[in-house]
Amino acid sequence: MNENGFTQFSTLTVLLLLAAFYGGTYLLTLLIRKDKEDTSGFMVAGHHVGFGMGAASMTATWIWAASFYAAATSGYTYGVSGPIHYGLWGALMILFIYPFGRRFRKLAPNGHTLGELIHARHGASSQMILAISNILGSVISLMVNFTAAGALVSVLSPLSFEAGVLIAGVGVLAYTLTSGFRASVFTDFAQLVALMAIAIIIIPAVLFSAGGPEVMVQGLELMTDEQADLFSMDAILNQGAPFFVAVLAYAIGNQTISQRLFAVRESHIKSTFVTATLGYGAIVIGLGMIGLMALSVGMEPIDGKMNNLIPQMVSTYLSPVFVALFFVLVIGSLSSTADSDLSALSTIMMADVYGKNIARNNPNPKVMMLVGRITMIVATVAGLIFASFSLDILVMLVFVGALWGAIVFPVIVSCYWDRVTNAAFTWSVVVAMALFCIARFELLEMTGATVLVFEVLASVGGAVVIGLMVFGFLGRAAGLVAAALTLVAMLIFATGFLRDYMVLVASLTAYGASAAVCTAMTLMSNERFDFDLIKRRVGDYDDAEFEDSGSLVAEGAK
Amino acid sequence: MSNELIYGAYILIWPALTLGVLTVICGAVVRDARNARDSDEDLI
Repeated sequence: MNENGFTQFSTLTVLLLLAAFYGGTYLLTLLIRKDKEDTSGFMVAGHHVGFGMGAASMTATWIWAASFYAAATSGYTYGVSGPIHYGLWGALMILFIYPFGRRFRKLAPNGHTLGELIHARHGASSQMILAISNILGSVISLMVNFTAAGALVSVLSPLSFEAGVLIAGVGVLAYTLTSGFRASVFTDFAQLVALMAIAIIIIPAVLFSAGGPEVMVQGLELMTDEQADLFSMDAILNQGAPFFVAVLAYAIGNQTISQRLFAVRESHIKSTFVTATLGYGAIVIGLGMIGLMALSVGMEPIDGKMNNLIPQMVSTYLSPVFVALFFVLVIGSLSSTADSDLSALSTIMMADVYGKNIARNNPNPKVMMLVGRITMIVATVAGLIFASFSLDILVMLVFVGALWGAIVFPVIVSCYWDRVTNAAFTWSVVVAMALFCIARFELLEMTGATVLVFEVLASVGGAVVIGLMVFGFLGRAAGLVAAALTLVAMLIFATGFLRDYMVLVASLTAYGASAAVCTAMTLMSNERFDFDLIKRRVGDYDDAEFEDSGSLVAEGAK
Repeated sequence: MSNELIYGAYILIWPALTLGVLTVICGAVVRDARNARDSDEDLI
């Protein structure tokens, strides 16, 4: 133990653990390496990922280092219901996207990114809005994961924060660079098996080492009434509701999810995403229970930092072997997400930027692969630099979250309604972002009619979220009824009340404003789009003049 | 049911569920690997 109460490994031990993890992962990728990588394999594994690999990859990708820390923080802060209000909504992000994913796949069976589909539907401006939001999200995710690696290494060993960041970045890049998405999925499986096995061992080990359920029950007396309540309104309003609002936005705005929707065999999309929902929920809620246990035994986080809770509990109650397992658990979770982000970024640059906008549907596969690999290297370097500077990403996160919220309605509705135009898509996002900024930063005085207007827009936003969720599973009529009922309920109960939660109002305004503008502009249009065109426009990188270029094969050439 | 049992079950249900999902995923990958080998295709 060091003076802070954490188990302290020697530099050699940590280096050996990291070498074993990244070396082992690299060796695994040699098993699937091909002499002739093609663009389809590099971007979506040829659209033939099976159920097991797909579910493992989706689960591992969605679990990042912050998942454990935030779930434990939620358990410690909100008590009994805290871990559920973190893990459940994160899990539902995976579940609620799959009905729309099946539609995306039906429209563009050879697609690689959602941006390609939107390009085929609307054109470049809508596609680039989506691509930029995806790129920002993945770069932030990369940075956060590398930062987590640096923090963990510096807490548990004499190695510096920067050394941890560098090792994680180089390690992830080394095993992803050659085979791209195929390597990401294959290693995700191995990483998830390790991650799940460790979680299965650590959670009961901490529980019984800390005194078992009896001590936990006694700990209920240390909690406030809200913390001891499984249906705590405090937890619902402060932890659950903001996450609920983000359920669809995170799924639509994240290329790591859409990439897997295009990669898994079409018949396995439902089983893959339902299994990943259960897997994510079980692991994250389970590890969040360690935060609840910390609260129950009256532990105070070292230096007041909530991120110390899990390492502190593991160091306090378990032997160094378990701490080493925890170390592998966190490194595995952050690496699986980071490699997925690298694959996502490379695919966006290959398909959306180079394929659609630079090569204009006439890409040279050799150049395309080069673009993908250079993107991975540049993204890793950028992630390392940003992580080393420990930048404050809060503002960036706020904007990206709002952008994702603003594009949810236009993206989904563009895949079902043939009248939606490129102008409706683009302007709805622009107006929604402007109104979001006004509400989020209170650029206007939020009183009287002004705040009422935003509450009404937020109510529309709430109706959009519920309506789209119901629509995904039960169809248009049920979706419209659910949206109408939600709107009425929100207008009755939320006006005059929501203004006390301006962050929530701003998020919902992004949904509501984009839906209102997109719908209004669409209704004024007489255009009709033939959805069959998407199938013909997406994935067609084939071109005779490049068929024989080197050893690389464009997908469309097969 | 005693409070200890309920509280213990509330915490331990999650690793149990994790074990269930792990079993399903590993079983599916083994089946996929076998099918890929039989049809002389790549697993991924």
